[in-house]
Amino acid sequence: MKPLTRKQLQYFVGMLEVTREQELDCGECQNCAAEFAERQLAGLPLDEALARVEHHIQLCPECREELLALKRILSEGK
Amino acid sequence: MVGADINWPEALRAPDNAAAVSALRAALLQGLRIALRERSDVSEAQLEDFAQDALLRVLDRLDQFSGRSKFMTWAHAIALNTAFAELRRKRWRDVSLETLAAEGQELPEAITLPNDVLGATEERTRLVEALRNAVAGLSAKQRTAIAGELREMPFDQIVALLGTNRNAAYKLLHDARRALRRQLLADGVSLATIRAAFDS
Repeated sequence: MKPLTRKQLQYFVGMLEVTREQELDCGECQNCAAEFAERQLAGLPLDEALARVEHHIQLCPECREELLALKRILSEGK
Repeated sequence: MVGADINWPEALRAPDNAAAVSALRAALLQGLRIALRERSDVSEAQLEDFAQDALLRVLDRLDQFSGRSKFMTWAHAIALNTAFAELRRKRWRDVSLETLAAEGQELPEAITLPNDVLGATEERTRLVEALRNAVAGLSAKQRTAIAGELREMPFDQIVALLGTNRNAAYKLLHDARRALRRQLLADGVSLATIRAAFDS
């Protein structure tokens, strides 16, 4: 394996910095994604469970990608 | 034809659900067109396939709809997961578990002070050493998963290569991140200090 680049090291340390003892996994995030997207687009407050979605998508590019796409559908499909 | 005020779960469970199924499929397809329209690697035929796969998944999971969102938002979320998972799989299918596992084994040695960070001071060398030692303390599977993340490999592909499911793989990585934080803390190294060393 090639030596890690500065970007990779920064990404790695960044992941450690945002790590929490309790986190949602992808399945739990997906279960909340629809409600999260609707409430966020409507400017409504997020409860504790939905706030954890926000944390999960910081760490998970796949869930973040899917959530952004969902918000796009909701925004443009109105 | 279905009305705007349709009760989707009810209509889809009904014996004469053909119109509802057809309308749901059309709505999922339209959503996928919006979400993926900037992807030049996705054809209309693929969108049709994704919509069909998503339709089957939605119908299979009807009992899991909790009503905490609109039904259609929930269904679109499933469709997006279906489509993106397939697209990510195609991109990374040439990478083998053996390759990734080998990279995981070599991960501690790959942690060095980057060439473009000025000045290999004693302090910077100590921080790199601490991070390397912490990584060396992880299990082989944890290092393999982290190597995948550092290659920006899609999580679904890491999951597939490890032969596990997404939740178990997330837990594996979460446990690894927590273990690294604890080890660095025990060594008296803060993440902010490491970040500052790599930022300079």
